[in-house]
Amino acid sequence: MKKKIAFLLITILLFVSLVGCGDSGVSSTVEDNKFKAQMTFNGSSTLAPVISAIATEFIESNTTWNNVDSSFPEENISIYVSAGGSGAGAKSVIEGTSDFGMLAREVKGEEKEKIGDIKEFVLGIDALTISINPENPLVKLKDSLSTEEIMKIFSGEYKYWNDLDESLEHKEIVVVIRDLGGGAHEVFQKSIMGDVQVREDAIQSPSMGALVTKIIENKDAIGYASYGMVNQNQGKLIPLKVDGIEPTEENIVNGSYKVSRPLIAIKKGELTQEQQAFMNFVLSDEGSQMIENMGFVPAN
Amino acid sequence: MKKIENSIFKGIVRFLTLFSVLILSFIIVFILKESIVFFKEVYIIKFIFGRKWNPLGSADKLAIFPIILGTIYVSVIGIIIALPIGIGNAIVLSSYTDGKVKRVIRSIVDILAGIPSVIYGFIGLLVLVKFLEIKFEFPTGESVLAGGIVLSIMMLPFIISTCEESMEKVYAEYSGYSNALGVSKSYMIRKIVLPNSKRSILASIVLALGRGMGETMAVMMVIGNAPIMPKLLGKCQTIPSLIALEMGMAEVGSLHYHGLYASGFILMMILLIINIILYIIKRKLI
Repeated sequence: MKKKIAFLLITILLFVSLVGCGDSGVSSTVEDNKFKAQMTFNGSSTLAPVISAIATEFIESNTTWNNVDSSFPEENISIYVSAGGSGAGAKSVIEGTSDFGMLAREVKGEEKEKIGDIKEFVLGIDALTISINPENPLVKLKDSLSTEEIMKIFSGEYKYWNDLDESLEHKEIVVVIRDLGGGAHEVFQKSIMGDVQVREDAIQSPSMGALVTKIIENKDAIGYASYGMVNQNQGKLIPLKVDGIEPTEENIVNGSYKVSRPLIAIKKGELTQEQQAFMNFVLSDEGSQMIENMGFVPAN
Repeated sequence: MKKIENSIFKGIVRFLTLFSVLILSFIIVFILKESIVFFKEVYIIKFIFGRKWNPLGSADKLAIFPIILGTIYVSVIGIIIALPIGIGNAIVLSSYTDGKVKRVIRSIVDILAGIPSVIYGFIGLLVLVKFLEIKFEFPTGESVLAGGIVLSIMMLPFIISTCEESMEKVYAEYSGYSNALGVSKSYMIRKIVLPNSKRSILASIVLALGRGMGETMAVMMVIGNAPIMPKLLGKCQTIPSLIALEMGMAEVGSLHYHGLYASGFILMMILLIINIILYIIKRKLI
């Protein structure tokens, strides 16, 4: 008998959960202006850990909404962050599946059109450094590459390290990039390569972490590691100057270091009060400090 | 009372079956719908047999022939490595062990099947790729070979469990007779157990091939993801890793986005064709 009851309960639960799905979907579109205790972020895998860390801090220091602002009801704060890439971030905002999208690139014109009433928040800047392994003899030879040299390395015109400089070994240059359609590569393509294509047999890493690992593990590797990642792995990979300009915080902010990309949060339509409250926290000094701690350059 | 119970049970079971069939057909329809948009712009033959994949380029730069070859190549290498090991393991399990030892080995194999693929990929990236770089002086360890080796480990449990099941049956059936005849065990395994398990060995190959061609994460981490013609010691790209790598970044509704769905569709078709061919072979063989 017990088994039967359990079985019945499970079936009922199954049906109820299915019904529940339908309900919440409808109500969220209707009651757009009502107070929502939760918000969702989706998008760039570079930005996701940053928002996630800030959200954790925000939740831990406030717990319920009425601690943020006394006019808010006493409900637990919940902020969900998921990473799926900049494109997925824009998609989720267009389709309304998440409140905010996180992008590690400029918002494309086409995306702006589809969203219509778009709100953009520039949270910070991430620079891509042209990095090599510390054991690469190039480190001792020079600390700067010109745009043209970088272009020739990445396009495959320089196939071996001694093509770049004759005193270097005759070893194949291992070019590591991110996927060609991704935000990071787009920035690199625009600021360094122009119309020249990257060599076809370059290793496409599935994430920035994998790219950095590859450079740390392989002596002949070169790739565009993000500024944040280089800071987190100091000494394990060496960032080179581009045209003599070092990727420092100052140079990145004033724009003289050219391989950089903005970190943006986007939202369709007006922000609700509680969303505004969270965004204020992200853009506050405390939020900026956390962005900086994660290795990026905060916008404020 | 019993009647009502029966009919309720039947109804629920039927509903659940229908539900899973619906999900499957929904997935197929959805992928087909998304890829038809692409096939209107790009000729399907050109898409399959073209040589270049560049999502930033124009429509004629979206073709996946090297990627299809890479998908098949990596899986075949995986099977070539895994099959002898797997069959050997199945023979030992079915014919040379019993009781506790068997249970221990079997549970170890089960654990092997339960390890998440990203862990295999991670070990592959840090150990295997590095090993190939240092010991064999590859410029980069990311290669078809590395992908095949990682896949072979992941395929092992499938091959072992499928083969072992039927070998055990055959062994139990004939061991009495062969012992009575005084035939040696290895002779019996070679002449009776192996030939009689042909069907299940073939089935395990299909299973492993399906597993290998669909594997995303572990393969993505060790093959280098360069959409070029695959060579054993060179980099390559497979369809699942292509989709996983680029789907997150592809702009919704763009040709690139639909192209990824189209390549997923092609992968489904390839798997279907392989399954049908092997089904036919299986029927003819036995």
